[in-house]
Amino acid sequence: MPQVPSTVPDLLSAASAVLVVGLSLAVVLARNPVRATLLLILSFLPVALTYILLQASFAGLLQVLVYAGAIMMLFTFVIMMVNPPPGAGEVPADDAGGARKTFRRGDLAALLLTGAIALIVIPPVHNAAARITAPMAASGGSPAHKDGFGTAQSLSQVIFNDPVNNPLTVSFELISILILVGVIAAVNFGRRKARRRVSRDPLAPPVDGRDA
Amino acid sequence: MTFMTLPNALAVAMLLVLIGAFGVLRRRNLILMLLSVEIMLNGVNLTLISFNYFLWGATELGHYMYMLSIGVAAVEAAVGLAMIIVLFRNHNDVTRDRISRLGEEADHEDDGNAGVPAVVAAVPGASGEVRT
Repeated sequence: MPQVPSTVPDLLSAASAVLVVGLSLAVVLARNPVRATLLLILSFLPVALTYILLQASFAGLLQVLVYAGAIMMLFTFVIMMVNPPPGAGEVPADDAGGARKTFRRGDLAALLLTGAIALIVIPPVHNAAARITAPMAASGGSPAHKDGFGTAQSLSQVIFNDPVNNPLTVSFELISILILVGVIAAVNFGRRKARRRVSRDPLAPPVDGRDA
Repeated sequence: MTFMTLPNALAVAMLLVLIGAFGVLRRRNLILMLLSVEIMLNGVNLTLISFNYFLWGATELGHYMYMLSIGVAAVEAAVGLAMIIVLFRNHNDVTRDRISRLGEEADHEDDGNAGVPAVVAAVPGASGEVRT
């Protein structure tokens, strides 16, 4: 396994871990919905860097191209369509000196509930991780990775090698059916309501014209 | 790498999931709740990749599961956002406290407006804002 003989990967992975957590916190706490979406897109970049450092280069590429590029585009688009006015769902954006207002009574409840979830979830995960890492440390770190581990070529060989007997090929093709069903569902959601509105709304014809 | 060990990667993933859960509980805007769910998914994806790297160097099954997870996330986002758009057309609002008929009154500062039943908001002119 070709190793970069320096502390550069260390620094990069530590920095990206800090960045991911910080940016995700910023997403959760941001007041402006558009800003939250853009921060989430930004937080995907250090995640992609972490994937690449973990020799998952193709996964890192997917994270940027598909996740940050396509899925978050949907979110941005819907936020632009719905255009939540200031104070629609979050803290009113215009209250000056409102740094204290970021936290409210409901937020405290949410924080407490999250703490309860953490108390429930962390101990078993910690135990499991300790059980897994004990033999790993005994055998000396991570296992040997095959040549080209995590590249698109290697991953495609895992998925598409011997397509007749490979269950991964079938499940991979099933994703496309799932996406097709999802697209049909999404289009149907959008259309039927528009048509129902036509029947009782005098302002509807432009809506109908747009959907046609 | 000495920093990015399996326990540290799992800790980062756990933090992401908890931050996302906090966001889901805290947010009142449905779109931003979905956004927080994406943060949680991010944490899960990180565990898939790091388990594959630290425990299994022969094949990329974890990477493949990551691809599956991305596909499901895309479908989930598409369908969820379509549902939110329908909700917005009918109620002209995507705030979970205001479109709820089951819960008690929202504890906003602007309770006066929040108490107005969502049906009132669904006036015929509402669709004009959908178009812009």
